[in-house]
Amino acid sequence: MSRWDILWDHRATIIRGFENTLILFSVSSVAAFLLSSAIVLVIQTHRGALSGFFRTIVDGMRMLPFLMYAYILYYGLPSLGIRLDAWTAGFIALITYHAAYFAEILRGTWATLPKGQTEAARAVGFGNLAMYRRVILPQLMLRTAPVLGNQLIVCLKDTAFLMIITVRELTAAASAVQSTYFIPFEAFVVAIALYWLTSMAIEVLVARIGLVAERRGLGYGHVDSRR
Amino acid sequence: MDQAAFSALLAGAWTTAWISAIAIAVGVPLGLALALLREARVPVVGHLIVLYVSLGRATPLVTLVLFIFLAAPLFGFPLDRYTAAVITLILNTAAFNAEVWRAAIRGFPREQVEAARAAGMTRPLYFRRIMLPQIWITSLPGLVNEMTFLIKASPAIAVIGIVDLTRVTNRIAAVTYEPLPPIIAAAVIYMVLISAFVRLQRRLDERAHRLTM
Amino acid sequence: MSTLVVEVRNVSKTFAGVEVLRDVSLSVARGQTVSILGPSGSGKSTLLRCINWLEEPDRGEISIAGQRIGIRPDGKTLMSDRELAAMRARIGMVFQSFNLWPHLSVLQNVTEAPIHVLGVPRDEAIERAERLLDKVGIAEKRDAYPYVLSGGQKQRVAIARALAMNPEVILFDEPTSALDPELVGEVLTVMRALADEGMTMVVVTHEMAFAREAADEIVFLDQGRVVERADPETFFNKPSTDRVRQFLQRYS
Repeated sequence: MSRWDILWDHRATIIRGFENTLILFSVSSVAAFLLSSAIVLVIQTHRGALSGFFRTIVDGMRMLPFLMYAYILYYGLPSLGIRLDAWTAGFIALITYHAAYFAEILRGTWATLPKGQTEAARAVGFGNLAMYRRVILPQLMLRTAPVLGNQLIVCLKDTAFLMIITVRELTAAASAVQSTYFIPFEAFVVAIALYWLTSMAIEVLVARIGLVAERRGLGYGHVDSRR
Repeated sequence: MDQAAFSALLAGAWTTAWISAIAIAVGVPLGLALALLREARVPVVGHLIVLYVSLGRATPLVTLVLFIFLAAPLFGFPLDRYTAAVITLILNTAAFNAEVWRAAIRGFPREQVEAARAAGMTRPLYFRRIMLPQIWITSLPGLVNEMTFLIKASPAIAVIGIVDLTRVTNRIAAVTYEPLPPIIAAAVIYMVLISAFVRLQRRLDERAHRLTM
Repeated sequence: MSTLVVEVRNVSKTFAGVEVLRDVSLSVARGQTVSILGPSGSGKSTLLRCINWLEEPDRGEISIAGQRIGIRPDGKTLMSDRELAAMRARIGMVFQSFNLWPHLSVLQNVTEAPIHVLGVPRDEAIERAERLLDKVGIAEKRDAYPYVLSGGQKQRVAIARALAMNPEVILFDEPTSALDPELVGEVLTVMRALADEGMTMVVVTHEMAFAREAADEIVFLDQGRVVERADPETFFNKPSTDRVRQFLQRYS
C-alpha cells in the first residue's frame, strides 16, 4: 500500500480536522468582527474611561503572540479558579484576539471618513446606533476589505496554534495520522494544500467585496502616479 | 517565581531572540532577491515565486515547522530542531518580505532611474548607489512590521520541542505548580520586545515619508 | 576631427502607432546653443531623449562627437549596458522635474557620478563640486537634502550635477516648465552664463526670451517634423512659414 493510500484510508480524520478548522475560523472571525464593530463604536463615540480601557486592550493585545494569549486563557486562568476546556479557550482566544486587530483596522479607516457624512446622517434623523449600522459600518467594511482579508488569513493560520492546547483541528489531525503511520510528507502536504485553498477562497471573497467598493467609488484609490 | 524559574524564563527569551534574529537576517535579503527575480520577469521563475509567496502567506507556521522537521529526513536531510525552526521562520518571513520589497521596487520613480542612466551609470551601479539606498528606506517600516509578525508567530516552533519563551512557561509551571506567574512574565517580555519594534517602525516611517517629499 | 558634437540624421520614432518623430535631422557644433521650439506634442522632448538614447529611435543615426550612440560600429548590434553608460557619461542632461536623488545631499548629488562613473578621486570630486555649486549660486546649501530646496534651487543643483561630468554637451528638457514663475529667472541666468562660456547646449524650452537671446540657432518642430531652422533674428522677425507665425503669436 502506498503512503497516499494510507492517507486516503484515514481521510475521515483529516476531513474532521478540516471541518473543525473551518468552524473555528468562520465562527471566530464573524464573532470577532461583530465584537470589533461594537468596540470601535465605543472608542469613537464615547469619551472617558470606557473608551480608554478599550483602546488599551486593543493596543496591548496586538503586542502579544496569539499562542501566548491562548496560554493565558487555557493554562493561566485555572490558577484564578476559571477552568475552560480547550475548545472554549480556543474560541475565546480567537474571537477576542482578532477583534482587537479588526478594531484597529476599522478605527484607522473611520478616522479618515469625511465629517460631513455623519452630519448628513444625523440631519435625516438617524440615531447614533442606526447611523453607525447603516451609514458608517458598511463603508468601513467596503473600504477596509483588502486589509480585513489579510487579517482573516492570519486568523485562519492562528487556528493551527490551538493544536498546542489540544484542539483537534486540521494540523492536529495531520499530525495524528502521520505519527501513527509515519507519513509526515503526505499528511502535511495535504494540510498545507487545504489551508492554501481556504485562503484562496477568502481572497476571492475579499476581491468581490473590493469590486463592489470600487464600483461605489470607495476603493482604496490605487492612483498610478506615473502618468 | 524563584531564581531558577527566572533564569529559565530568560533562557527561553534568548532562544526566541536568536532564532528570530537569524530568520530576520537571512529573510530580509532573501526577500529582496525574490522580489528582484520576480520583477525581472523571467517566465517560469516568476510564476514559481508567485506560488511560493502565496503558499507562504497561507501556511500556518505550526504546520510548516512540523512538515519541515518531520519530512526533511525522508529526503535525506535529517535536521535538528533548531535548524528546522530557523529554516521554517526564514521561508515564512522571506515570502512576506518579498512583497514589501516588491511594492518599493514597483513604486520606485522612473525619473530617478533615468537621471542615473543619463549620468552614465550602468545597471548594477545605479541599483547599488541610487535604487537600493532608497528602497531600503521606503521598505524598512514594512520590513520591521513583518519582524513583529515573525516574533508573534515564533511560538509555533514550540511544537517540535524547542523551549522558547512561550513553551518555557509550561516547564516552569511543571515545577512550581503555579502557571500564571511565568505566563504573565513571558507575556510582558513579549510586549516589551514588540512595542520596541512598533516604536522603531513609527520613527522609520517618518524618515521614509521625508524621502518622498 | 569633426567639430559637430551632436549629429542627428534622419531619425524617426513611433509610439503606439503615432509617429512622434519623422525623419528629423539636427546638428550642433561645439560651443553652440541650439533651442528646440514647438507646440506641445511636437516631439521635442522625444528628440532630446533620443540623443542620449533614453528613447531608442526606430530609424536613423545619432552621433556624439563623431561616435555613434546606441548601435555598435558594425552598424547592426545594440550597445551593451556598459557601452551605453560610457557614451551617456559624456552627455549631460537636465530634466523638467529636476530628478535629484533624494537620499543624497546636494554635494553628494554632484559628486556621485564623477566618483562612481568616472573614478575621480573623492577629494578632487568634492573640490570641483564645491566650485560648481558656487558657480550656480547655491554653495551654502552644500549639505542640505533636496527636499528642503525650492524648485529653482533644485534645478541649479541639477545643472551643477550635469556640469560635474565635464560633458561634451548638456541636454535641457524644459528646465523651467515645472518652476513657479518667480523662480524661472534664476535658472535661466545660470543657463545664459553657460551659453556665454561656450558650453554646447541643446535646450527644449517654452521660454521665447531665452531662445531669442541665448540661442545660436532655433529648430522648430511640428508634428514630429523640422519645420523651420534659423538664427533667432530671422526666426522671430521674419519666419518663413505660417506655422511658425501662428506659434509665435500664441507664445509671445
